[in-house]
Amino acid sequence: MQQWVVVSIIIGAYLALTLTIGLLAGRKSSDSVTGYVAADRSFGLLVMYFVTGASVFSAFAFLGGPGWAYSRGAAAFYILAYGALGMAPFYWVGPRAAALGRKFGYVTQAQLVVGRFPSRTLSALIAGLSLIAFVPYITLQMRGAGIVIEAVTDGNIPIWLGSLVAYGIVIFYVLASGAMAVGWTNTFQGVFMVIIAWSLGLYLPYRLYGGVTPMFEQIMDVRPEMLVPPGLTATGEPWSWGAYSTFIIVSAVGLMMWPHLFMKAFTAKDDDTMRRTVILFPTFQLFLIPVFLIGFSGILFTGGPSSADFILPYMILETGLPAVVVGLFCAGALSASMSTGDALLHASASVVVEDGITQFVKLDDRQRRLLMRILVLLTGATAYYFAQDAESSLVLLLATAYGVISQLAPPVVSAMYWKRATTSGVLAGLLAGTATSVFFYFNPDLRPFDMHEGVLGLIVHVPVLISVSLMTPIQNEKHLAGFFS
Amino acid sequence: MNLRTARILTCIYLALALFFVTWPGLKPFARIEPLVLGLPFSMAWIAGWIAGSVFVLYGLDRVERRHRDGEGS
Repeated sequence: MQQWVVVSIIIGAYLALTLTIGLLAGRKSSDSVTGYVAADRSFGLLVMYFVTGASVFSAFAFLGGPGWAYSRGAAAFYILAYGALGMAPFYWVGPRAAALGRKFGYVTQAQLVVGRFPSRTLSALIAGLSLIAFVPYITLQMRGAGIVIEAVTDGNIPIWLGSLVAYGIVIFYVLASGAMAVGWTNTFQGVFMVIIAWSLGLYLPYRLYGGVTPMFEQIMDVRPEMLVPPGLTATGEPWSWGAYSTFIIVSAVGLMMWPHLFMKAFTAKDDDTMRRTVILFPTFQLFLIPVFLIGFSGILFTGGPSSADFILPYMILETGLPAVVVGLFCAGALSASMSTGDALLHASASVVVEDGITQFVKLDDRQRRLLMRILVLLTGATAYYFAQDAESSLVLLLATAYGVISQLAPPVVSAMYWKRATTSGVLAGLLAGTATSVFFYFNPDLRPFDMHEGVLGLIVHVPVLISVSLMTPIQNEKHLAGFFS
Repeated sequence: MNLRTARILTCIYLALALFFVTWPGLKPFARIEPLVLGLPFSMAWIAGWIAGSVFVLYGLDRVERRHRDGEGS
């Protein structure tokens, strides 16, 4: 039997298993908006841990991470650095958001912000920004799935078909089961990803160089510039410290502002579960080490893929691994893509309906659920369209989305922690920060110190939020008491 | 340890971690040798700060939990 046939069978079996788990999980969820969006607030530690880890580590980490280590060397370390820093404050923020969620019935972070700062404009603005950030994120996941399938089947299953089948399945179980399906499939996919990453990350250096130490010694002799932060740019020039450092900051600030991650605060069974997830999260982060080793192992390897994002499948095919291993790897990479993609699709639909549309139109529970399902389809179709001809690097797609999403941090933090913040202040800050970051996104040459546009946005955002808040009257005592008792 | 001290120490650790994995804190450690567990020094350095945060957060959690239990009884 030809190798690609064996690989396709393994992928097929894996996809069938994912679908089964996704559909079985849905049978336990109640038929309400809380059930669909927040899984009846019932996730335990094991599920929470893998849901969070698997949603953070996507095709971006699994394919983009090795791609960066391979082409830009130590620049990839920024991905390793930000996660733990971004997650840690959630030890306090998470339970606080959860308490407010239980008290006022919030299921999205925009509801929390707007609960404190009543404004339909603000709500629609947050929903809009989230959607703008979500589409490139979903696009990169779909493209990642397509890339892997095309590469390992020798082009017999092209990107358009591979991403269509993988995401057809994701959309099917998200439509049927909502948050419950996302939780259980991510647990399964998270375990799978960790095993595949560690075994491959240690195997490749041993196979090609005789170990991790010999591999780095050889790279040090030939390409020492690859191993020293801040690494290289995409064109092989030295990368700037300003860009390296602000990529870490914007990603750390933005990490928990992703609606699909923040909403986990509303799905956790209890606060202790959430706190333990935060404590254990850095252990998931360390799984980037083998992922980078895979990319580094390609640096001195003769030849190379057409695009750096293909390095992982390329290495696996070139080192003559048995078909079964190739198939399992492929399933691991698909896990990475699909476990984030499903959470993103689910969250984008929830956010647009709950925070955008229902602010202006009155809908009952059943209509909202129906509308969310329609939106899952629409968002999926839009991302699928873009996934067919995206040219940019997977990491850069995500870094751009982070610039937008990090602007949600000041409103969320001030809603929970700063009594003196006012609706006008938050609106003004959000508009100024977003405008600044959009401006520098389109004028990269004007960025001071080569800083990330999202950080430049925050530098404008925070002072505007503070000064406008101080100039406008403080919110009334009774309203504040609900949030700060 | 009381709650306030634990929280302050955690925040200090996180601030130091941020300082040492970005410019200018990372600059003196942005080198390859010595290799640590086979990894370039800067990579092991960053991974070390991440691994350390597990212990710091675990310690914080013990104090926070004792405090919450005390409140409940």
